[in-house]
Amino acid sequence: MIRRAYRALPGPTPIRVATSVLIVAAALVALHFFYDWVGNTFLDTGGTVG
Amino acid sequence: MSETVTAPPAAAGEAAPRIGSVLRIVRGTGWTLIWLGALTLGFVVHQLWITTWLAQLNQADLDAEREAYFAGAVITEVEYEPPLDPTAPPSSVPPGTTVVPPTNGDGTPVRVAGAPLVLKVEAPPEEHTTFALIRIPALERLRDGWNIVEGVTRADLKNGAGHMPWTPLPGQPGNAVISGHRTTYGAPFHELDELTPGDRIEVETALGTHVYEVRESIIVKPTELWVTEPRQGAWLTLTTCNPKFSARERLVVFAELVAGPNAGVMRRAS
Repeated sequence: MIRRAYRALPGPTPIRVATSVLIVAAALVALHFFYDWVGNTFLDTGGTVG
Repeated sequence: MSETVTAPPAAAGEAAPRIGSVLRIVRGTGWTLIWLGALTLGFVVHQLWITTWLAQLNQADLDAEREAYFAGAVITEVEYEPPLDPTAPPSSVPPGTTVVPPTNGDGTPVRVAGAPLVLKVEAPPEEHTTFALIRIPALERLRDGWNIVEGVTRADLKNGAGHMPWTPLPGQPGNAVISGHRTTYGAPFHELDELTPGDRIEVETALGTHVYEVRESIIVKPTELWVTEPRQGAWLTLTTCNPKFSARERLVVFAELVAGPNAGVMRRAS
């Protein structure tokens, strides 16, 4: 699946590599914020009251 | 006489695509489960290690910020008037009698004996900055101390334990409330359930080190705001999530000031 997605990227190899690095970085940042929200909401809010 | 029945060639041709689609479904389900597992594993790694790593990265900066705050803090001395407790009239007064405290000509209460009570006070710190350090010798995680930030927003609590800005500063009369993470972002209050009455909590501020003694630990709902209400004397209230890995309840530890720059004044006032 990943290989197929990589092959579907446009342009020559350097452009494909750069695009895939950007996509992975953006996905990791989005994942960080998602995990942060889930953790702060359900797992550990920081212990405040009210 | 025997009859040989052979399947028509068309039936074998129909079975192949059916098997192919079943395989596709199985493969798709397998990949979905693998991705879900990877996402869950990523979540655990993020919550337990990455958030702690981020919090520890901030601690060095916060240490420097706190030292700078200590160096530049403005400390003043103010006369302290302990609040009169209307719920505790002297036992010699018959029930139902209204107790009117003696007053001076201008209406201020008369202090009967002793020198005036002088309290050391520091100017309130700016929000979202660190201004103190909490140390609990009985807990491994807090033996060396953890920075306290003014504020309890999500961003504040990612950096350190957070002081509720609408409550007094540690070492002052009333109820200073500090909240902290239990399982993520360095988890400063991870072992708070291990505190027992008599354990010491030290809070270092610009005034000096205030020593509190644990009096009680309770578990409440997250909406029970009464735990932050003012108290007679000088108290420290620590709050964190409970049980571990859940935000369902709050573990609350009440501790009373027993030593430090203002402890003598509070003892005389009580």
